[in-house]
Parts: sequence; structure tokens; C-alpha cells
Amino acid sequence: MNWNAVLQFARGPFFYTALLVFVAGMIYRLVTVIGLGWSKDRVPVKGSKAGGVVMSFLKGILIWPFIPWVKNTFKRNPLIYIGGGLFHLGLFAVIFLGAAHMLVFKSLLGFGWATLPLPIVDWLAAAGIVGMLILLINRIIHPVLKLISGPAEYLAWLFVFLPMITGYSLTHHLGPPYEVMYSLHMISVDVLLIWIPLSRISHFIFYFFSRAIHGQEFGKRGVKV
Amino acid sequence: MPEETIAQSLKKKGVSRRDFLKLSGALAAAMGLSNVLPVSANGLPLNPGRGYSMNRIIAKALETKSRLPVIWLEFQDCAGCSEAITRSNSPTLGNLVLNTLTIEYHETLSAAAGFQVEQAKQDAMQKYAGQYILVVEGSIPVAEDGIYCVIGGRTAIDILTEAAAGAAAIIATGNCAAYGGLPRAKPNPTDAKGVWEIITDKPVVNIPGCPAIPEATAGTIAHFAIFGTLPELDNLHRPMTFYGVTVHDRCLRRPFYEAGKFALSFDDQGAKNGYCLYKLGCKGPTTYNACASIRWETGLSFPVQSGHPCLGCSQPDFWDGGGFYQGQSAPLEHPEAVAVGAAAAVGAALGVGATLINQAKKKPKGGEK
Repeated sequence: MNWNAVLQFARGPFFYTALLVFVAGMIYRLVTVIGLGWSKDRVPVKGSKAGGVVMSFLKGILIWPFIPWVKNTFKRNPLIYIGGGLFHLGLFAVIFLGAAHMLVFKSLLGFGWATLPLPIVDWLAAAGIVGMLILLINRIIHPVLKLISGPAEYLAWLFVFLPMITGYSLTHHLGPPYEVMYSLHMISVDVLLIWIPLSRISHFIFYFFSRAIHGQEFGKRGVKV
Repeated sequence: MPEETIAQSLKKKGVSRRDFLKLSGALAAAMGLSNVLPVSANGLPLNPGRGYSMNRIIAKALETKSRLPVIWLEFQDCAGCSEAITRSNSPTLGNLVLNTLTIEYHETLSAAAGFQVEQAKQDAMQKYAGQYILVVEGSIPVAEDGIYCVIGGRTAIDILTEAAAGAAAIIATGNCAAYGGLPRAKPNPTDAKGVWEIITDKPVVNIPGCPAIPEATAGTIAHFAIFGTLPELDNLHRPMTFYGVTVHDRCLRRPFYEAGKFALSFDDQGAKNGYCLYKLGCKGPTTYNACASIRWETGLSFPVQSGHPCLGCSQPDFWDGGGFYQGQSAPLEHPEAVAVGAAAAVGAALGVGATLINQAKKKPKGGEK
């Protein structure tokens, strides 16, 4: 098999198509969500809606997730908090602070930024992979999670896990030759790009929407956030 | 006179027995003969036993085998691979191929010219039919019946097919002859092809590179001269001896890659410290070649050592493999603003459509909320 040609396809036309599908799909999702409209205020607003949104963003995104004891998730299910936290931390560090990934953004956006040294990125990537495995095992053995998990949940896990594991073995030269792992990495990334708008991984944008909605609800009711 | 053995002709040129044995040892090393398979394929004992060493076996082969006629054709090329082989002065390998093996025809090196040399080629092809090695340099254009490369009124395809018919084996030297090289770069106006895409009924060895490492070309020819067989090849028809590992695997800057220390421009402190050139577009991790081990100019240096990222010149279609100074991870095609805008517009249109349908569905049931 000519992996050179596979790699060219995965880095070239397939990535191009996947990127456009990703853009079109995410815009579609955004428009349909915005098109759902806002509910009307049927009672007088007690506090400030905008203030609620601001506080929700500041505290909900920047502070709360990093202080375990204020999070109900941590109190009720520390495994999810730790596994999910490790995964998201590792993922963001690798995507934005890994040298190879920064070069992708640089080539697409025209500007780059400083990156973390490879060993640090490596440890974070490993933490992300371990986090993902913890979450999968938890999903399989937890009686309630098992009930509410369908193919979409397992596929979402798989499509995120594949780029991470292929990328990790690629930088460490584990298993097959570099260009084979690189091809598999690119193919899995392309598949993920197409999958994101179709799945709940789109929460990377809608998370901020739900934060805003919750914030304005808090503000409306005068809840002290 | 190919009837003379290689050893005899060397002796005639004043090569002493001691130097001859040294050469044999150097050849064994250059061909990576720690593996006995190519030896056993020639009926030599699999376990040569005490006292036998590879250079003895090679010396014996050189003493008994007659010289090997070579016909060297050039098509869409720059003669850079010929240039490289004439300058390879490491273990007299290039010397061996150039002086001792009989290059019967070489467009750049032959003293004769015109019809005279064409006649010499025809004579050689008849005299050594089925025995000679055909070395091809340069890609073969097939568009418009091959009119983009015509020598002496005949197309490259025609000349190649004729010469290949009587060849014992074909060696495609340089990226052009192997995989199309520069002439094949997009948009490939001449529809340039590598030799192995045209000649399918003969063994074709690819020695890609820009130029090919002369020791790799000469070593492969020497392998055939000595053992009468071709070395073990990878799936892109490259000898495993020279193309078994990547440039990255043997790179002297590899520790800096592992440590995450990169040069960010050609004149920053990182570049001065000799850090890894990955961020400057090095293609070493996916490039299979012996640059980092054999190196160039008698092992003096190679591009990465001299401070330039690897361009990946021994891989197919390396000209279209992304910007030379852009990270290897960068995508090959960048969607233009128009394409991204169009994709966004399609998404938006679909979204508005879906919203309108939703609302139309809702209204008859509940009416105004």
C-alpha cells in the first residue's frame, strides 16, 4: 500500500472537504439553534440579565471548574470530574500548544504562537488519553450511564480517541512507521471534523450558548450567582 | 570489453591487491551486506564459516564476474544525478561504476555525439542483449504521444521501451525517473511518469532523491554486478539498504526534536544552537533516504546538518507535498475565503430553511405562544 498517496489524500482533498463540511455544519447548527428563538419574559425581571450572563461566564467558565469543592459534579461523581477535567485539559493543551498543531493553525490563519516543549505536551496528551479511558470504563460499568448510552455516545468517544491515540503513537514512533500513523491520524481528524457538527461534540460552541442562557435566567430571577 | 573480469581491469589500472580487498570490504559495507540473503540467492554458502567474510565473498565475485555493461538514458532531467555520481569519490564506488563497469552509452558523458553515439548504443544493445543494466535519469512525458521529450526524432517512451526490452534490470535514478519528480509537479503539463509506471515487465529499482545519493545508485549497480540480483526492495521499489529508515530516524538533530527545542527562523538563537528544523518545514519524519547516514561529499554533511530542513526529495510527489518551509503538519490545501464563505452560506441557508420548516410545523398546533 502506498501510504505516501494516502497521506497526500488525507492532508489534501479530504482535509479540505472535511474543513468545509465542518464550517457548513456548524453554521447550520448555530442558525437552527438561534432560530429556536428566546422565550418571552412573562414576569418582571428581578435582576440584570446581562449581568447574569457576565457572571455566568466569568465564574462558570474561568473559576468554578477549577475549584473542585464548589462543583456538585465533584461531590457527586469525582471520577467524572477528574476524568473529564484531565481529558479537556490535555485536549486543549495538545490542540493549541503542540508544535505540530500550532503549525496547522499558522498555515490556515497566517499567524502562529509559542508552543509548549514536546515532553510537557506529551504528559498532557497522556493525561487526556488516560482521562478518556477512565470515562469510557465508567460509561461501560456505571448502570445508569450504560442505560442512556447509545451508539452516538460510543462513536463520539471513538472519533475523539482515535486522533489522540494515533497522534500520541505518531510522536513516539510506536507501532507502524511514521507516515502510516500520520495518515491514520489525519484520516481520523478529518472524520472527526465531519462528525463534530452532527454530534454532541458541537458543545465546544454550544457550551457557551448554554452558559449565556443559564446566566440570563439567573439574572432574570435575581439569583446571586 | 566486458569479458575481462572486474578484478583484472582494476589490476590493469594499477589497483594493488591490498586496495582491491579494501574496496571489496567497502563495497560490502556500502551495500549493507550484514544480511546474508543476497549472498545465498547466488548459491554462496548461507553460513560462510570461519575465515570467510563478506569482503572475501565480494572479492571472489569481483575476480570471477565479467564487467557489467550499463546504458544510461536521460529524459526530462537536469543531469544532476549524473553530476552527483561523477563526484562521488567515497569508497571508489562511483569510480568503480564509471570506470570499471562499462557505461556503453551516456548522453552527457559520452565523448561521441549525434548519429555516431546513437549507433554505438544500438550496437551495445544488440551485443549485450539481456545482460546490460539500464539506468534511467529523468521522467517520461506521455501527454500528446510523448512529444514533450524527443531525442534524435524519437520520443522518450519509444527510446525507453526499446532499451528496456533487452535490459537485465532497470535502475531509475533520481526522483524524476522514479516518481516523475519536478516535471510531474502540479499541473504536470507533460503528464510525466516514472519508469516503473511504463515498464512493468522488467525489474525496476527506484533510487529516488534530488539528486539520488550517488553511493545508493552506484551501490545498487555494484550489487547487481557482483551478485547478479537486485537488492531487497520496499513497496516503492527502493533498496531497503539505503531507504530502510527515515532521515528523521538517523538525524543528528533528533535529540532536539525529542526535547522540543526548535529553530523558529533561519537566523535565530535556536538555529545557531543547531536545534531541530521541524518547525521550519523539515520533512525528515516521512522521508526514507540515507542522507543522514551516508551523507554527501564523502560523508561531509547533508542538508539538515547544514541547517536546511529536509525537503523530502526521495518521496513520490514531494514538490506537491506542502510548502518546503511550512510545517509538515500543515494541510496541503488551504480553503480560500470564498470557499469558506460558500460553505458558511450553505450552512446558513440550510439552517434558515430548517428553522422556517420548524416554525411552520409549530404554528397550526399551538399558535402564538
